[in-house]
Amino acid sequence: MKLSPTSNLSASLEFLLQEISGLRSQWKSPRRLRVDLQAETLPALIELLKGRAGFVHLSAISCVDWPAQNEFELVYHLWSYEVKVLVMAHIRIPRDPGIYLSIYDLYRPAAFFERDIHEMFGLFFEGSPDMGKFILTEWDGPPPMRKEFDGEAWVMNQFDWQDYQPGWLKDIEAKGGGITTRPEDVRRDKPKPWDEQS
Amino acid sequence: MSTLKNIPVVSHEKPSGGTGNLLANVFDELMAFCRSRSLFMLHYCTGCGAIELPPAMTSRFDMERLGIQPMVTPRQADILLVTGYVSTKTLKRIILTYEQMNSPKYVIGICSCTVNGGMYWQSYATAKKLNDYLPVDMYIAGCMPRPEAVIHGLRELMENIKKGESDNWRDYYRRYDHYLGNQQRLFGENWQTPTDIIGEARHYDLMGPETLGPHTALLEQHQTPLKPFEMTLGLADLPVRKDEPR
Repeated sequence: MKLSPTSNLSASLEFLLQEISGLRSQWKSPRRLRVDLQAETLPALIELLKGRAGFVHLSAISCVDWPAQNEFELVYHLWSYEVKVLVMAHIRIPRDPGIYLSIYDLYRPAAFFERDIHEMFGLFFEGSPDMGKFILTEWDGPPPMRKEFDGEAWVMNQFDWQDYQPGWLKDIEAKGGGITTRPEDVRRDKPKPWDEQS
Repeated sequence: MSTLKNIPVVSHEKPSGGTGNLLANVFDELMAFCRSRSLFMLHYCTGCGAIELPPAMTSRFDMERLGIQPMVTPRQADILLVTGYVSTKTLKRIILTYEQMNSPKYVIGICSCTVNGGMYWQSYATAKKLNDYLPVDMYIAGCMPRPEAVIHGLRELMENIKKGESDNWRDYYRRYDHYLGNQQRLFGENWQTPTDIIGEARHYDLMGPETLGPHTALLEQHQTPLKPFEMTLGLADLPVRKDEPR
């Protein structure tokens, strides 16, 4: 069966998705389809969509950390220029050991997304060409976008803070400058000039 | 200049200590005046503050009437403008750029982010205090400062240069151990720049009590000796015709 934008789109796409077992689909809007499926069946879904429905564009892979369930959620955003539908395929994988398959052999851009997720969440993709450092080349701490990473505590430990320098303001005031609008002038309870006009 | 006192021959004590030669100070004053009137600016556009610089430089606010103009290379620049948040990765490049510049050199931190991290105070990847890593001469606070504020700050810097008060670039040599310590804390113990700051300080007689210390000792342990960069054409790698004589 070939999909075309003129045919009954949702019915044809859902007919196609029946081939994957244990899949739940939900239309978020006329052109956005959310798909929840088992992690093992995701490569089959992607091959199906790419081969039979023209989903040639992998927009992004995003990752969500669910520490309460001890799971990572991966979302594969696939776009078809032919049927003009965005499919968001959600899978859940256990946080430990946090290893999943790469889809680099199906989509070359996946290498960048997977490398980014590996850097930010520590999730390893087997078969991805490069799992080296990507953006955070100066970083050797834990993966910073995991929920258990306390960024504030890390910052407090790593950096010093500027001391409050009252002399700086006095210098400016001596030269005729200074603060024109103080915090108490912009309080919410204070009536605003535009309130009186109305 | 109605009285002799107001004639700017000796307006203040020189930090190095005068030799008693009045003429020397006159030349110093003249040099400081000329220096303050021809500042070449290298703007390292790290964050959003960079967007205020095009109007400040071009016809609307026209910085060039003050003798300030953008310069393309660090070797020829006098001012290093850091215009916004400084990520750890960028900070390395800023330090390399700063060390390439010729003395006297000045650093201006524009935007709140260079003062104390600004709205990125919680970010693990953003350096908070620029003056921990570089000797900052002037901060222009604001998020972002308007071109008027930028020009005001630069005029203040010009005044300071004219009066001989802005010499934080000496501080980088005198307290190199302090700056290097903060850099090592962020980048790790193996941090090394291709510029030999200690050697420069020795050569130009800028050594201070804190030039050498525990952090520079650590640097000397890890330091790989600097080598001249060899340029080769790499002709062997080029594809050649099969019948071409080798």
